[in-house]
Amino acid sequence: MALALTVTTPIKIDIWSDIACPWCYIGKRHLEGGIAALGADAPDVEIEYHSFELAPDTPVDFEGSEVDFLAGHKGIPVEQAREMIERVTGVAAQAGLDYDYDALQHTKTLKAHELLHFAKEHGRQLELSERLFRAYFTEGRHVGRPEELVELAVEVGLDADAARDALRTGRYAAAVEADIAQAGAYGINGVPFFVFDGKYGVSGAQPAQVFSQVLAQLAGERDGAAA
Amino acid sequence: MIAGTPDTPRDAAVPSPFTMVAGDPAAMVCEGDVCIVPGSTTAE
Repeated sequence: MALALTVTTPIKIDIWSDIACPWCYIGKRHLEGGIAALGADAPDVEIEYHSFELAPDTPVDFEGSEVDFLAGHKGIPVEQAREMIERVTGVAAQAGLDYDYDALQHTKTLKAHELLHFAKEHGRQLELSERLFRAYFTEGRHVGRPEELVELAVEVGLDADAARDALRTGRYAAAVEADIAQAGAYGINGVPFFVFDGKYGVSGAQPAQVFSQVLAQLAGERDGAAA
Repeated sequence: MIAGTPDTPRDAAVPSPFTMVAGDPAAMVCEGDVCIVPGSTTAE
């Protein structure tokens, strides 16, 4: 007699993102809202973050405000820089995020990405991703300095010495580069960028209902295939 | 909401293996230090 086994594998969500990307944190909240909105019908999901370093030329230590950085370092008019910050701060507030650009410390995010790969290897990537976003956008923490990163890693349950060693040796730099290369191969120019089950791509900080609809569609397709 | 045919992100060098979801065309993305509405020329 044949046994019918139903194996439900989670829907895989691959996210290209940068810690210094304000719309990535907002998009994260929208995705979470989209999943929550499905309630009991929400499918199981497996989320994996991938590195996308928006501005590799950013110095680790930059003295000045975000407006100073955008205006002085990138040549964006001061008024436009202020408007950009006001707009994103307002949208973040609607998503329940209290962005503090007065405290924000602009920095290079390469080491933060390396730490995210270290965390993935130890099953704590989602926790660290949230912790790094919060540290950067709402707490004014410096996420470019290894010792500060180690402190944050410890807060999500990672081993301090192992995290410090991973950052010191640059052991995960190749993994960061591989993620960025994969994004390039997909033609991803901006983040956040979401890929659902390798089947559907979603660009930008889309509203929560868009994520709900994609997940519901995928779940329906799986049900149809299983019937 | 979900496009009926496989599409590629903007300026893709090679076809991507997934179908792009149209979603909200005003959804913001960050490219470099500037965050924009894809397809527009104005940074916000």
